Amino acid sequence: MREILRLFPEEIQQAVQVKLLNRWDKLQEIRLRLNQPIELIFDDGIEWLLTSKPTRKDGMYLINQLSEFSLYRLEDELREGYITIEGGHRVGLSGKVNTLNGSVKAIQHISFMNIRIAKEKIGVAKSIIPYLYDNGYLNTLFVGAPQTGKTTLIRDVTRIMSTGWGEVAAQKVGVIDERSEIAASIKGIPQHNLGLRTDVMDACPKAEGMMMMIRSMSPEILVVDEIGNEKDVDALLEAINAGVVVVCTIHGQTLDELKKRPSLQPLLHQSVFQRVILLESNRPGTIHRIYNEKEENIIRQPGVLTR
Amino acid sequence: MKWIGALLFIGTTTWLGFEWSQNLTKRPKQIRQMKNALQILEAEILYSQLPLQEAFETIAKQIPEPSKTLFKSMSVSMEQRNIEFVTTWEKAVEELINISSLGSNEQEILNQFGRTLGQHDFTQQQKHIQLTISHLERELQDAIDDQNRYSKMAKSLGFLCGLFIVLLLI
Repeated sequence: MREILRLFPEEIQQAVQVKLLNRWDKLQEIRLRLNQPIELIFDDGIEWLLTSKPTRKDGMYLINQLSEFSLYRLEDELREGYITIEGGHRVGLSGKVNTLNGSVKAIQHISFMNIRIAKEKIGVAKSIIPYLYDNGYLNTLFVGAPQTGKTTLIRDVTRIMSTGWGEVAAQKVGVIDERSEIAASIKGIPQHNLGLRTDVMDACPKAEGMMMMIRSMSPEILVVDEIGNEKDVDALLEAINAGVVVVCTIHGQTLDELKKRPSLQPLLHQSVFQRVILLESNRPGTIHRIYNEKEENIIRQPGVLTR
Repeated sequence: MKWIGALLFIGTTTWLGFEWSQNLTKRPKQIRQMKNALQILEAEILYSQLPLQEAFETIAKQIPEPSKTLFKSMSVSMEQRNIEFVTTWEKAVEELINISSLGSNEQEILNQFGRTLGQHDFTQQQKHIQLTISHLERELQDAIDDQNRYSKMAKSLGFLCGLFIVLLLI
């Protein structure tokens, strides 16, 4: 966890270390707000570092460390509002925004930071991968609220698909990583283990990326995070028509709720997805239901599968 | 015995005069070098989008001593990440001033520049580099003037001073 600790000035570094001891694996987020105590969010609760309140100088220190003293390189990142660091961790930023012609140009005075610890859990998808395979992989949709572990799951699914498991051979997998969350690439190189046969299109808009990937890299499986609008759905249908297997995630609670969304109508009415995996809220990584194309629950043993 | 002492004395003062004139000639050259270095830095920042540490490394490879020292020592100390940039920069500048013919004006300009380095977006950063280059340009004009005016004089002045004191003492 050195790559996170070294972002902080000496004092905060020590305070965090003392508070954490060896609970890194349970840590989800470190939140810094200037002149407010530091907040640590664990899987099972929130703790505060009341003694250390970051000052503007500490904030500058952090930004300098993030940018390697070269703020000009973060132009894109300051517009998007997050920076991916070594190890795939993600630093979210907020503060005063500069605009140009009405659109965001950059965040200027950064006063809020949220360091999200990447959870690469190798092997979490092992138990669900058999459900996704039936003489070839099936089009799969992961449904869950934020923080239910969709991305973590889809990442491991990617890894398993592109390395192979049991009797099943490794497949060519293309990942369209619009929000740099699946692979967490830095300069195009994935920071997470995505298997042997995976190609990643980093920070690329999904709709375009899917088409580019199909044209250029001939993937057998496409992995996409957080589909939402009509353009995504159209591209997805096109990909499926091109004979590519699609694995993707979407925000949502239940299947019925998804059906109400107009943009998803074409997908759900044509029963494009042979598997829909519902994740339970409040308990990250817990599978609630797995539906087949006839909306029958096929999970043999509901509940914790992935731990 | 007296004559040998006198000769030695005149020799020393002449040497001092030459040194002074050397300094006057070297200063414009070194300011020009520094301007070059900043132009390279601008290119590295704008087109290659390198982080400062790597940009410094590239510059150190391209320019001659003594300006090289500044960028070399910066790139070395920046490999270690938990440093205070401004203080490190100022220290490196001081080191450069000590070994080169650059004066306190240049030191002030470079120190000011260090405070802006890496704290801005591309356009702002470019403006700061341009500003520093134009400051250096002004110093360069002064330095050339000084060189024309004093460098020949410095040479003869050293010798004549020595001669004068020797004559006084005899």
